[in-house]
Amino acid sequence: MKLRRNKQEGSAATAAGPSGRPESDGATHTPSLTEGISVEELALVEEMEREVAALQAKPSRKLEVAIALSLVALCVLGIIGSRLIAVRTETGGIDPRWWPTVMCGVALALSLLLTVIAFTRPPFDREDLEVTNRGGWVRLAWTIVLSALYIVAWTLTGNFVIPSVILLAALMWVYDGRGWKALVIYPIVTVAGIYLLFHTLLKVPL
Amino acid sequence: MNPVLDGLTALLDPTVLFGMAVGIGLGMLVGAFPGITATMAVALASGFTLTMSPVQGLAVLLSIYTGANFGDRIPAILVNTPGTPAAISTTFDGYPLAKQGKAGLALVISGFAAAIGILLSMVVFSVAAVPIASFALNFGPYEFFALVVLGLTVMISISSKSLIKGIIAGLFGLFLATIGHDPITADPRFTFGLDVLSDKLDFIAVVIGLFGIAEIFDQMLSHTKLRLKPVASLGRWWPNKKEYKSMGKPLIIGSVIGTVVGIVPAAGGDIAGLIGWDRAKALSKHPEKYGNGSFEGLVAADSASTSTLGGALTTTMALGIPGDSVNAVMLGSMLIWGLQPGPQLFATQPALVASIAGIMVISTIVSLGLNLFRIRGLVKILDLPRNYLWASVLILCVIGTYATTNDINTVVVMLCAGAVGVLMKRTGFPAGPVVLGLLLGPLAESNLRRALVIDGPGGFVTNPIALVLLVFAILAFVGTLYSRIRARQKEMAAAHALAEAPAEPAATTTRSEGK
Repeated sequence: MKLRRNKQEGSAATAAGPSGRPESDGATHTPSLTEGISVEELALVEEMEREVAALQAKPSRKLEVAIALSLVALCVLGIIGSRLIAVRTETGGIDPRWWPTVMCGVALALSLLLTVIAFTRPPFDREDLEVTNRGGWVRLAWTIVLSALYIVAWTLTGNFVIPSVILLAALMWVYDGRGWKALVIYPIVTVAGIYLLFHTLLKVPL
Repeated sequence: MNPVLDGLTALLDPTVLFGMAVGIGLGMLVGAFPGITATMAVALASGFTLTMSPVQGLAVLLSIYTGANFGDRIPAILVNTPGTPAAISTTFDGYPLAKQGKAGLALVISGFAAAIGILLSMVVFSVAAVPIASFALNFGPYEFFALVVLGLTVMISISSKSLIKGIIAGLFGLFLATIGHDPITADPRFTFGLDVLSDKLDFIAVVIGLFGIAEIFDQMLSHTKLRLKPVASLGRWWPNKKEYKSMGKPLIIGSVIGTVVGIVPAAGGDIAGLIGWDRAKALSKHPEKYGNGSFEGLVAADSASTSTLGGALTTTMALGIPGDSVNAVMLGSMLIWGLQPGPQLFATQPALVASIAGIMVISTIVSLGLNLFRIRGLVKILDLPRNYLWASVLILCVIGTYATTNDINTVVVMLCAGAVGVLMKRTGFPAGPVVLGLLLGPLAESNLRRALVIDGPGGFVTNPIALVLLVFAILAFVGTLYSRIRARQKEMAAAHALAEAPAEPAATTTRSEGK
């Protein structure tokens, strides 16, 4: 049996028929329509399966090479950092530097192996992931920027409520939410609910 | 008073019952919503439950855990999309059944299989946990280190397409665990003079980042306007006598396999479901029906994936090694409550262990009841606008993390973990081994260093338990490696045969033509 590892739930890619069946003959054959489903509904469902299958991410050698080389660099940095740990009493041998150095050393060896594999073997399939799109990267970039600004605002003002309402309104705008429900009611009601639950009931100082 | 009675009486507290009701409802919702896992929900809920008493908090967390194991089957059957990884194997036969107009029947059978799986595994928990814990009381540094190695090896073996990436993820987790003060000499390591790093990385923050924020970020990256269309025709609901009879054998196979897999550290419902389905198929009189809408296949998959719950709880509570990723998060919460899961828990908190078993049984029965109320409407949750979901999860992750320490810097750690998590997800590195490494790192390092100082590496050979655990770890690793090489060879041989076969008209993957 071909086990599907690292399957992430919830991706639309998982809804694809053929790859979702172990030892499948590549089909989502449905033997009978004996109990109620209509031909039209079946056609609709199978149309969805095809659309979803088209969204699966493709394997990428460039990505695998970039990952492997980045890991090599990170592991070297990790080893250097581990050796630079300041120890109050030098005992040599199994000291506080030993364990992180061993971890980074083993990871470095595996990263080098991963580099060789990235250059010489077919790249890993990514059928459990969906393809990214330009709009997605824009959404993600704005989310990170807004979250960073939110933390700065919360830290500087010491106020949770106003920065949170502004954050939610801004996020909804970025995520194509429009209208007073998305941009006004939702942020206010959500922040009020959170404040009530955490500050009032759970006594978390917000 | 009897500790078992004490533990069960504690469940009559209205706040505990309310916590269970909330947990079951939440669990079923998150289970039914692809993209929100039980791990993510439990991690988020930990932020809410830290101020509660352990029984109240566990009532919420364990009920989410149970409820999600019922909710996740609904989209698996109706949309071919597993609500959580544990329901992957449900799609194999559940969705073909739905396409045959037997969705209602599949939902009911799946619910019964899931409930029986959990209840049987809880019997194992009740019977086996105390002896295992008593046995583990004899563990020393060698045994604990070997146990950590076994847990990490299993997690690495099952969680990634690439073993190397899985190991690197585990090593990354172990490395992250070194941030803070050295467990033996208390020398600061990788703290860079920052307070937030001086007392090690906040576990809950990292888990919320890796499982919550990373998932939402990934959805943002790949979101399209495509709408999943559930099968609407449900057909009849209740199985007939013949169908009931055919379920006995796969139910037993699935439950036994699931419980055993659950006991193995770090192995969860997804792997158990796949193994259970595969074994039941191998032992079936009608293996050809598996994958094409077999009730036997559905029962085997669901009973196997849910019966891991009792096994996983046994490992977590008796040994202090998380049985799966949800238990890893719960273990983190228990540490914050001042409880140390492991052999001592049974000696110091016997009533709490009884409460845990009681919560699991009650929440399973209630979840089954809800499942039988024809809750196909839960699939409507798939229509929830993603923008509301993303914004809500983001703010809840922020507040949930903040609540654990009341320190805004912890939120920064959580967001960084989220960014790292999405990078890992897109590049094929599993998050599970990182969490396990982070959680078990201090245990592994301190025990290994103590062991090496006490008796040197030779101690692993002279301590039979440690030796056996290490041999199991090696067998798990080598076995996985071997099976992957064999699978790859088979795939290459099949591709080769296909290339050499005479050209034939392209086979269609659907039967849309001619209708």
